Amino acid sequence: MRLNDCDPGFKQEIARQPGGEGIKTCFACAACTARCPVGSLKPEYDPRRLIRLALLGRRQEVLSSPLIWLCCSCQNCSEVCPQDVRCAEVLTAIKNLAAKAGHAPPSGSAMARQLASHGRLLEVGEFENDKRAELGLPPVSEEPGDYQALLGLQPEAPRPAGEEA
Amino acid sequence: MGGCLEEIIFLSALDTPVLIIGGGVAGLAAALELDRRGLPSLLVEKGPRLGGQARGFCCKALEACARCGACRVGDLLQQAAQRPALGALTQALAVNAQRQGAGWEVTLIPQESRQPDTPALALERPLRERLLARTGAVILAVGHQVFEARKKSRLGYGRVPGVMTAGELEEALAKGGLPGQARRLAFIQCVGSRDQALGRLYCSRVCCGFALRLARLARHLEPASQVTFFHMDVQDYGQAWRADLSEMRADLRFIRAIPGEVRPGVGGPLAVFAGPDGQPQEEEFDLVVLATGLEPPVAAPALCEMFGLAPGPHGFLAGGGGVLVAGTAGGPRSITESIEHAAQAAAQAAEYLLAAPASPAGEVAHA
Amino acid sequence: MPKPVLCWTPAPGLEGLEPLALARAVGLELDQGGALEAAVVTVPEALAPDRLRARLLGRPVQWLDLAAELGGGGDGHRHKRAAAALSRAAGRASLGTLPAVYAPQPNQRVLVAGQGLSALAAARQAALLGHPVLLALRGDDPAAAGAGEDTSQVAELAAGLPEGIELAPPTELTNLTGAGGSFSAWLKGPQGALRQRFGAVVLAPGGAWEMEPAPAGLAPDLARPLSACDPASLATAQGWRQVAILAGVGQPATAQGFARALTTALALQDRPGVQVTLLFREALVATPEGERLYRQARQAGVLMARLADGEPRVADDGRTLAWQDQVLAEDLELAPDALFLAEEITAPWPGFLQNNLLWPPLARLLPEHARLDGGRTARAGFYVLGALRGTPAGDDRLAEAAGAVHDLHDLLGGGATPLPAVRHLTCARCLTCVRVCPHGVPEHLEDHIQPAPAACLACGICAAECPAHAIAPPGWSTAELVEGLARGLKAAPSPAMVLMACGQSAMPAFAQLSRQGHVWPAGLLALPLNCAGRVGLELILRVLSLGAEGVLVAGCHDGMCRSITGNLRARLAVGQAAQTLKDLGLRPEAVSFLHMANNQPQALAKAVEAMYARLGAPE
Ligand SMILES: Cc1cc2nc3c(=O)[nH]c(=O)nc-3n(C[C@H](O)[C@H](O)[C@H](O)COP(=O)(O)OP(=O)(O)OC[C@H]3O[C@@H](n4cnc5c(N)ncnc54)[C@H](O)[C@@H]3O)c2cc1C
Ligand code: SF4
Ligand code: SF4
Ligand code: SF4
Ligand code: SF4
Ligand code: SF4
Ligand code: SF4
Repeated sequence: MRLNDCDPGFKQEIARQPGGEGIKTCFACAACTARCPVGSLKPEYDPRRLIRLALLGRRQEVLSSPLIWLCCSCQNCSEVCPQDVRCAEVLTAIKNLAAKAGHAPPSGSAMARQLASHGRLLEVGEFENDKRAELGLPPVSEEPGDYQALLGLQPEAPRPAGEEA
Repeated sequence: MGGCLEEIIFLSALDTPVLIIGGGVAGLAAALELDRRGLPSLLVEKGPRLGGQARGFCCKALEACARCGACRVGDLLQQAAQRPALGALTQALAVNAQRQGAGWEVTLIPQESRQPDTPALALERPLRERLLARTGAVILAVGHQVFEARKKSRLGYGRVPGVMTAGELEEALAKGGLPGQARRLAFIQCVGSRDQALGRLYCSRVCCGFALRLARLARHLEPASQVTFFHMDVQDYGQAWRADLSEMRADLRFIRAIPGEVRPGVGGPLAVFAGPDGQPQEEEFDLVVLATGLEPPVAAPALCEMFGLAPGPHGFLAGGGGVLVAGTAGGPRSITESIEHAAQAAAQAAEYLLAAPASPAGEVAHA
Repeated sequence: MPKPVLCWTPAPGLEGLEPLALARAVGLELDQGGALEAAVVTVPEALAPDRLRARLLGRPVQWLDLAAELGGGGDGHRHKRAAAALSRAAGRASLGTLPAVYAPQPNQRVLVAGQGLSALAAARQAALLGHPVLLALRGDDPAAAGAGEDTSQVAELAAGLPEGIELAPPTELTNLTGAGGSFSAWLKGPQGALRQRFGAVVLAPGGAWEMEPAPAGLAPDLARPLSACDPASLATAQGWRQVAILAGVGQPATAQGFARALTTALALQDRPGVQVTLLFREALVATPEGERLYRQARQAGVLMARLADGEPRVADDGRTLAWQDQVLAEDLELAPDALFLAEEITAPWPGFLQNNLLWPPLARLLPEHARLDGGRTARAGFYVLGALRGTPAGDDRLAEAAGAVHDLHDLLGGGATPLPAVRHLTCARCLTCVRVCPHGVPEHLEDHIQPAPAACLACGICAAECPAHAIAPPGWSTAELVEGLARGLKAAPSPAMVLMACGQSAMPAFAQLSRQGHVWPAGLLALPLNCAGRVGLELILRVLSLGAEGVLVAGCHDGMCRSITGNLRARLAVGQAAQTLKDLGLRPEAVSFLHMANNQPQALAKAVEAMYARLGAPE
């Protein structure tokens, strides 16, 4: 890979995102990698590697990588990082950029649609409210309007605009 | 001072051109250098013995000297013993300082302490009663504080059996040998240094050197042992070190990664670190050694207030107004570097006295 | 022959011993305060009462640290050990010492040759201590700073030079002989070469930047030194986008060189549109601000690239660098618009230091040695400071200069041990002493050997090597040692063994163990030496022939001997003695050598124990 073909502005862009500020100070000590629970389940996943790719300016590769979506924001990495990179937040910032660039995974978009149209991730229908009534619980109602207002969406057009993980 | 130390035990005040606070290598070297210039001084140490933290360190020579400097403590103590004019007050703590003209009046109070098993040297005299030292200049040689390894709780110190600090390993090796049947050793570097999260954004300078020398010594004492060295960078200590380092690179396992966790395993501590493939990897060791860094001395804030000093870089001490700093009190340095640093502090103290307007203590200096 | 008396000065550790009984046992009078010819004192000189010291001035005295030689055990056991030690000392004291033939005074002048911080600081301190100083600068501007030095700090020092400093016209030191108190220096200046005498010499050349070697195959026009980079004016003007800085690639950088590279990288990265990549092997951050700079540079966006051996590779075009990224394990390439190579401070060794005729050659005076701090070299009175020694520019140089000046002041003021005595009538002018003295003390002047007045450390190497018994530091001739040991061995219970203990390593450890109450075998006789180098084949064999059943020589670790090779010479002598014993059909195990440091008392205790076990009759 030629560094001349990479995008030096990418790291600055991530650093401008809320939560992404720390990315540039990573000095690759790999403490985060050692602590990441996802890494021990999914061999390809390595937070340090993702940060390194971003630092090298490999925008396309990072934003389109399915791996960035595996971070479960458990903050294990942030706890051990000696440079205060706040790796979990950095990955969130990267996810946001990826979503903006249209790389959100289908499951993510589906969830966003769900949220936009129902106000929650689980649809609440008559079945649920009947069960609740049997248990003496009040019914719950879906109020997607709140979310739509919050996300600035048209009520009928549940399209994902951003993934607040 | 040695001649009159006997008497000052019964005095409540005394004059001395230079008061040296702290009897580690830096304090001892400062007293020696002043004596070489012909200036008397009073050395005060809060503990029962001189020598400071380096006193318990081990010799790291294999076939040849590893230039660790640890035996320089013994050299200094011996040189001090051969200079009749030198003496030291032990178990003496400076609690108050008052500006007097260009000099200082420092109140020393006796400190209770457990008596160590080594008998006192002839030049060590415990302070028995409160004493007022009137002095023309002060050298602060109070040393450093070793990073409290418990603060890096993930590395298991105090919690996981088999995890120890490098200082503890130094002492174990000085006393006899490797603790237990340690065959699989791991060193973890930069514990408490180079760490923005802890507010310690500096390199402690000495730990790469002592850790690798200890590692090599451990390999030498127990040829069947394996040493893994978890680090980020290896600092440089000159030409001869570079030659040693290339040998060490061939003999020890260098891993450029800092483990994220040390937890109890079946046969010893289990370190979790990033393997070469970027995946968390676990490995069991018999002994995990933490290369704890150097922190500012605990007494730094109190001393700054006593002598009206502005805090120095990274919270270490910086001198001013007839107060000089020597050794690790002023920042991380090795034993030999502390000795040289003390020479400079001694020279500056002497210059300060020359320039200072006449004061009771200053007159002693000119006499 | 002077008749020694026993001056019993009580000290901790001597409790329970009967001075009168001991004096009688070893055939000495106990001091009654009368006139003294010679004396054995039970405490070291520093601890003796002032009045006693005054009474003993100029007489042959054996200062013992008796408590430190005794160790623990029952009263009877300690009495026996004390008797042997006192006998040994009485033997030496009764011989008196060889008088120094004549003792010239050390020259007080100090030559400081060099430039910049180290030279000015050394000159200043020496002058403040009252030494006449000749400051021989290479150029004619005293305020000229060495590479990497703070020019304002240097200018301030140059402006405030105290009285007592003579400024030589631009001068070069071209040759040097002699040692502490008496150096001859050849100075070449505008008036030609002239030779002057000095008591001490400080060499502190300023140092210059040297670019680290470029990786093989790099287009020559691409590689430029870091100092050619003025970030403020260069970067935007030339439209650079990618800049590479190599800092510690071909050979390891120093922390100072690395910090300088970081500073430049930071400044360049701040220019709009510029991306800096810093290539290095190790991040050398061991300076007070090193780690902060390293973080600041990353924060600003400088890309850090770690390299392995043999990297970076240069492509055929001579302009593209390639290496493997250590995190990604994949190859990266960079074709920089500009490339800078970091620089390190160097100073060439002056030619005269390459003189290999004498041992040690002057260039080898400066091994990396944990005892030679403060600019000290193996030649007492000769100091090498600053760039030539690799000391980082800044306060470290001031500290080093201060150490050097304290040392020379101490030496020239009489802090060195007395002059070695040369018996010119027996001297064969074989020049062995000139060759073996590690501190350059004996000098061959016209027809005789003349020791330099302020340089001898009484290591005794000359005394061990001189074939004619013609030279020895006072009190350390073979005759004196053997006479003392003969009496000590007579008083020592069998099996008697002699520990020849180096004063820098074995003796302090021995004393420490004794103070802690370690019980030494009753027949063990400690012979404290200034340096193991005093031990020669002859001394070992004579001690064995006096009835010692074993000899253990203990000296410093290889590389830690204050006299550079004293320990190795002693080890060699022990090997020769073992071979001799073997050839004679005797037990070679009767002699052995131990390398140790003063913080390894356990090693000494173990070696003594092993020796007694080998001798077959442990107590
Ligand atoms: C684990 C470890 C290993 C190391 N190994 C090496 C090595 O192998 N080689 C090497 O060169 N360096 C080594 N170092 C560094 C070395 O410890 C220091 O360089 C050295 O101890 C500094 O000496 P000092 O005199 O400045 O301070 P200290 O040794 O800390 O001495 C300070 C003295 O001042 C006294 N004191 C403190 N406060 C007061 C007060 N208020 N009043 C009176 N007295 C006071 C203390 O009791 C102490 O005796 C190591 C450091 C650590 C942490
Ligand atoms: S722990 Fe922090 S500094 Fe270390 S590799 Fe991870 S993000 Fe980077
Ligand atoms: S927050 Fe993400 S990257 Fe960090 S440890 Fe958890 S899963 Fe791994
Ligand atoms: S410097 Fe260190 S290694 Fe060398 S002899 Fe002294 S203690 Fe041993
Ligand atoms: S000396 Fe080595 S171990 Fe110590 S802080 Fe510096 S880099 Fe880390
Ligand atoms: S070694 Fe002895 S004989 Fe030879 S020159 Fe020196 S003093 Fe004379
Ligand atoms: S005793 Fe040692 S230093 Fe002195 S002259 Fe002899 S060899 Fe040189």
